[in-house]
Amino acid sequence: MSKEPQLDRELGWLRKTLESAVPPVADSEPRRDLWPLVLRRIAQPQPRTSLRMPWFDWALLGLAATALFLFPALLPALLYHL
Amino acid sequence: MNRHPYLRAYLAGICVPTIFLLFVATGFIFMRYVYNLPVPIERVIVFPMAAVPNLWGVWNILFVSFLARRRFSIGLFGAFLPLLLAPLGFTVAHLLQFPIPPHVLAAAPVALPVGMVLYYLVWKHLVGSLNAELGVA
Repeated sequence: MSKEPQLDRELGWLRKTLESAVPPVADSEPRRDLWPLVLRRIAQPQPRTSLRMPWFDWALLGLAATALFLFPALLPALLYHL
Repeated sequence: MNRHPYLRAYLAGICVPTIFLLFVATGFIFMRYVYNLPVPIERVIVFPMAAVPNLWGVWNILFVSFLARRRFSIGLFGAFLPLLLAPLGFTVAHLLQFPIPPHVLAAAPVALPVGMVLYYLVWKHLVGSLNAELGVA
């Protein structure tokens, strides 16, 4: 008695068990073509990171810069604490 | 990314002063040893080198653990840090007998609000973005 028929039987049993355990997928195809979406996504420009600050923050920065310009002695004290 | 949020908060907090310190320390050393500035900066350099970055880290941990979920402004919270750092820095300088130049002492009342404004901006835009990048706030 050769081993091959026994192996075939075991593989057949395994296949049937797996097929019964995992039912076939009804709609395996996507509902629409996804490739144009992929192409559009690739063609989109990368988002640019920019320094967007509200006007209030710009005003504060200007205020601090003016104070440092008017009182240069502030600089060593600020550098010491940063 | 939900693991070790306080460690990430600490790292995000110390990042800015640690990088900034590199330039400040270089400038201080050049002024002291190249241009012979008659101020013993090396006596107090331990404060910006050790205390300040660690306090930034701890401050950010406090923000992440108590205030981030309540939508409190990180800039506003950071602006309060100079209120702790300024007296601490002055005490360290006093204890180490560092001769604070009189013109720097005279500018102290202006230095605190200017420092708070700068801290507000740095915490809002730099530490805040680092926190977002590390997923802690």
